[in-house]
Amino acid sequence: MNKVTTVLFAILFGVTVYNAHAQEYTSAEGYVEFVSTAPLLEFKGVSDQLHGLIDLDQNLVDYYVDLNTLETGIRRRDRDMRNSYLETDRFPFAEFTGELTKGLEQIRAGDLPANVEASGIFTMRDIGRDVAVEGTISAGEGGGLLLEASWIVRLEDYDIDRPSVLFYELSEEQTINIRIQLKQTN
Amino acid sequence: MIKTRKKDLFAVFFSTLLFLGLSVAEESKAQLERTLADDNPSVELTFMAPKHINLYTTELLSRGEFHYSIMHTFGEINSGYQNLWGIDNGANVRFYFEYGLNDRTNLAFSRTSQDKLIQFIGRRSITEQKRDSGSPVSVNMNLSIGVNTSDLSFLADSYSFSDRLNYTVSLSAARKFSEKLSILISPVYTHFARTGPEVSIDDPDTQHYFSAASGFRYNILPRAAITVQSVVPISNPDLTPNLGIGFDVETGGHVFQMFFTTSRALNEPYLIAGENGSLLDSELRFGFNINRLFKLHD
Repeated sequence: MNKVTTVLFAILFGVTVYNAHAQEYTSAEGYVEFVSTAPLLEFKGVSDQLHGLIDLDQNLVDYYVDLNTLETGIRRRDRDMRNSYLETDRFPFAEFTGELTKGLEQIRAGDLPANVEASGIFTMRDIGRDVAVEGTISAGEGGGLLLEASWIVRLEDYDIDRPSVLFYELSEEQTINIRIQLKQTN
Repeated sequence: MIKTRKKDLFAVFFSTLLFLGLSVAEESKAQLERTLADDNPSVELTFMAPKHINLYTTELLSRGEFHYSIMHTFGEINSGYQNLWGIDNGANVRFYFEYGLNDRTNLAFSRTSQDKLIQFIGRRSITEQKRDSGSPVSVNMNLSIGVNTSDLSFLADSYSFSDRLNYTVSLSAARKFSEKLSILISPVYTHFARTGPEVSIDDPDTQHYFSAASGFRYNILPRAAITVQSVVPISNPDLTPNLGIGFDVETGGHVFQMFFTTSRALNEPYLIAGENGSLLDSELRFGFNINRLFKLHD
């Protein structure tokens, strides 16, 4: 039985050492913009409150933004977007959780910049849709990573109505651009 | 022997727990915890526009925003179909421009046909209603100085510039009770530097007016609401109270406000001091406001 105990402690030691070298990065700062390009009007909803995490060991990519922090430049329009369309009281977050399907080994090897692709679920208003996001991961500040990615969402996929009587023309397709500085956390 | 086995079993059990604990801890780090940037934000969109029929609301512009409003009232609807129920009679028109100096202070300028009144207005947020704990209401203070620019040269006694002035201070206190219902209470005080029959007010002998105004909005559709306003004279109870009932339609940057009111007035000093018609005699007037918002700069 002493052997068993010894083996278990050895496993524990191994787990500890493994964790000490885990490659987990969390956001130091993050920026996201939702770009609406309609024939007569293009405007952006931007936020610098994007939070993210990349765990190279678990192959996990996770980020979210509090949609209450989105600003379009006109507060009245911000309030309208939050209250009438995004309903941020009930559904405050837009979030993505997935994994890298391209570029993982290259990043683990430290061969940056790397073109990456992540597959996962993008959720808004509690509606999750499978998406594949392409982007790049390059060397960030202080040994961290810089993630930049872009993809398109359709508002109707998330049950978001567009204004039927227009003052701002809102595009059915929204381009989402993100940029996150990530620092190694362990 | 048995004692030794118990110790070994305890060691295995403890080690297993520790290992599982570490594994669970590792697993729980998988996703970021979702946290709100502000877990007790201010309540928004208590009203659709800076004006509620004729009263100021608690809605302020942000820094760099510009609000333009054109307001009308027409003749009394009891003037019959020949006058298209008052539309053919002389309209009172007010052009109103408001600018967001910062997120809590707005400056405005307006010009009204009635007494050709030019006004300089300041609006300041005192407190904002919070979603959870904190202030249960939003409160603004509104100050204005008006200048009667009518041609008064026909009068025997000349009018100096200071004679033409009026001063108004009001508070707008509002609470959004739900997505449908918002209520506004607004005490208003006005002083006219000089009064007389040449000024379009109900009692030419009174310079001071204090009234209790109130109103509410009830959304019947996500972007359309029934609105009501009343102004009850306190310092001059002989004056007829004002009543207005309207319909607001919001299209994002535009807010269209259509209403029937007992007064021709479109601004606070004349709203509380001006003449009001009787509901019983159908002395109502049709009016409308068109509100538009722009962004001038960041």
